[in-house]
Amino acid sequence: MTTTRRNLLKFVGGGAAGALLTPAPWRLITDTALWSENWPGIPRPARGEIRARFTHCTLCPAGCAVRARCVNGQPVSLTGVKPHPISHGALCPWGIAGHHLPYHPARVRQGPVKEALAAVARAMDQRSAGERVAVLDLRPGRTVSWTYRRAMAAIENGLYLAPRQPAYSIDLAAAETVVSFGAPLFDGWGTPGNVFAARGNFRLVQIEPVESRTAALADMWLPIRPGTETAMAAALGGETTIAEAARLTGVGEEAIGAVKEAAENGPAVVLAADPSSPLMSLNAKLRALGRTVVARREAPLPEAWKKAAPVTEMAAAPDGAIRVLLIDESLPGGYVPWQEIEPKLAANAVVVVFTSTTEGYARHARYVLPSPVYPEAAEDIGPAIDTVGEVFRIAAPLLAPVVPVVNPGEFVARIAGLPQSDPLRERADAIHQAGRGALLGYADGKSTPAKEVTADNFWKTLNQGGCWMDDTGKKAAPGKLEFIAAGEPPHDELPLMVVAAGGRRGGLAPPLMSKLERESNLRMAANRVALSPADARSNGIENGGRCLLETACGRLSVVATIDAGVPAGVVEVAAGPRIADLCGASPRARVVRA
Amino acid sequence: MIGGKIAFASGMLVALAGGWLAFPRILYQTRLQPVNFSHKVHAEKAGTKCEDCHSFRDDGTYAGIPTLDKCSGCHAAAMGTTVAEKNFIDQYVTPNREPQWLSYAQQPENVYFSHIAHVKLGHVKCEQCHGNEGGAATLRPYQRDPISGYSRDIWGRPVSPIGLRTEGGMRMDDCVDCHRRQGLEYSCMGCHK
Repeated sequence: MTTTRRNLLKFVGGGAAGALLTPAPWRLITDTALWSENWPGIPRPARGEIRARFTHCTLCPAGCAVRARCVNGQPVSLTGVKPHPISHGALCPWGIAGHHLPYHPARVRQGPVKEALAAVARAMDQRSAGERVAVLDLRPGRTVSWTYRRAMAAIENGLYLAPRQPAYSIDLAAAETVVSFGAPLFDGWGTPGNVFAARGNFRLVQIEPVESRTAALADMWLPIRPGTETAMAAALGGETTIAEAARLTGVGEEAIGAVKEAAENGPAVVLAADPSSPLMSLNAKLRALGRTVVARREAPLPEAWKKAAPVTEMAAAPDGAIRVLLIDESLPGGYVPWQEIEPKLAANAVVVVFTSTTEGYARHARYVLPSPVYPEAAEDIGPAIDTVGEVFRIAAPLLAPVVPVVNPGEFVARIAGLPQSDPLRERADAIHQAGRGALLGYADGKSTPAKEVTADNFWKTLNQGGCWMDDTGKKAAPGKLEFIAAGEPPHDELPLMVVAAGGRRGGLAPPLMSKLERESNLRMAANRVALSPADARSNGIENGGRCLLETACGRLSVVATIDAGVPAGVVEVAAGPRIADLCGASPRARVVRA
Repeated sequence: MIGGKIAFASGMLVALAGGWLAFPRILYQTRLQPVNFSHKVHAEKAGTKCEDCHSFRDDGTYAGIPTLDKCSGCHAAAMGTTVAEKNFIDQYVTPNREPQWLSYAQQPENVYFSHIAHVKLGHVKCEQCHGNEGGAATLRPYQRDPISGYSRDIWGRPVSPIGLRTEGGMRMDDCVDCHRRQGLEYSCMGCHK
């Protein structure tokens, strides 16, 4: 055989063909992929000592107990704590990925702190006699909330503003029938572990127009006509006939009769999407007060704190009177629509918001100051709506803030001239002095009566992720329940009822979970609305088409999804501050082609 | 014509031999452990069990390869007459210098593995994954894939059985196979948290 150019090429060709039949090229492809994962600059958890640390999640008022696996002091994974008597070892998807939050790309990373302090001081000096300094606390019931109240009591014309908090707790474990008017029971309503632990004992009737995730998991879903919940409640309370309710709501008489009978016979509880809804008054008729709806209890306070400013709702604040407004939006909580706040502000009002996100009040405030996010901040968590006993737990920080942050409590205490102290420690000492309840340490899973622990050890255990609980008190009926009337009645110009998909959470969502949720279509994107085919057709809207969501307060450009699961007369939107600002107290809208 | 076929077949044979025989040998870098440690001597003469050195911490996490403190507990002074022990004391114990062990079983950053769940709850024996390391008189050389950076023991389907032990395994396929055989749950998020 002679060596020719042709033979050489054939040799190379044979070599290439042969190489494909060996593992070499395929292995090199996968190895190269792995090599690219280890390029410099790609973040990797540090190597080092592996330890478990305990804390509590502050992403919602449930305050679930958390076990963090830390490598070299850096939390790398979060799980629940099984012995915890309320959260039962469960964590929601946000909680599982909560340690990603400090690194969120959309986090507020800097703010004009000195300028804000100077502007607040100047405005406080220059304000006229009737002008107020106010703090808006979106997550009342915490120890820092008492700092705000004390600070506002120390300032002349100080005002402590907070969204209305229910004066009751729900004892799900005592209920055999749960009648829910759109409450997202399985989607962020209470403590996830507590809800699922009690799930086997109650029958859930979900009454709402759309088939939400809770409706899909309910024992019975009653797809009611939008806006007819009051008629259904009247029938369940015996104020109107079942036939009348069936005519108005579009739900069959037999189904309404079955729900009425179940609610009357067993221990029942009625829940509403808005805890201040008048629908909650149905609980009194069903004899639920003191049984499944009980008085909300708060952990003991230092005596000196009781001289604090009262809680005022935004609607009760005088118009045009707030010269300085400090908004604590550091934790996701109740959102007060900006249209309710704006009329209360004086001319030249200084609005400062402590937040980690640009989505909420940062759009309206003059000064946006970066706040710590979970799990950077040391603070306590108020009782959740389904926490029956008194409870006190601290979210012990798992890492130091990764950006320069401002502690809202310290900022407010400073402008009010409160003496420097550690309010959490003072509160813990007051609880310890009360000598009630037991202290649960997660590291060892032991529950010890509080009176058998020294004050220092009590504090130390709380900071190691422990939890104080006292559920020994007698369950009492809540005081007089006050409700907020429903929004304005429907009118022809705004024919659609706005239904928010999922609970209003606000704040940053862990990047990993929000990506998974969006990609798997579990959570609606902020710029989308869902319409029934009939409503879309009548307005000339196509699936995926750009359109305008119009309410009494304004309009928002959105993308339409046509969904046969959405009933006619409803527009489903993603929950969030933008929609809250757009809809306000009147959840009526229309969708028109852009 | 025939010459062309021979050229093609020759090229193919060269590639096949290279891919199946030479490639597995050149793929891995081989490095020796810093100390010629004998598991066999420790197990047989000193009666040491695996968990005496490879212990769990109080909180249940696995301590992995023991640190020098553990070794110094027994070898502060020579216990025997071997050269290996004398070198170990001179080079590491006396100057209090931590040996830079090369871990065959070190998993990538994106893998979560709980020893306590497998050993204490699942009653899996050490040998089932690590092979008979405990009975070996010397530490075998550490082989590392320089492209991926991973140990040969934990990553990639075996390219060729040459030089690779057959029992046990710590690759993802080994984990999945074992869970599947025993009817246990396995999913991506179980390990890749």
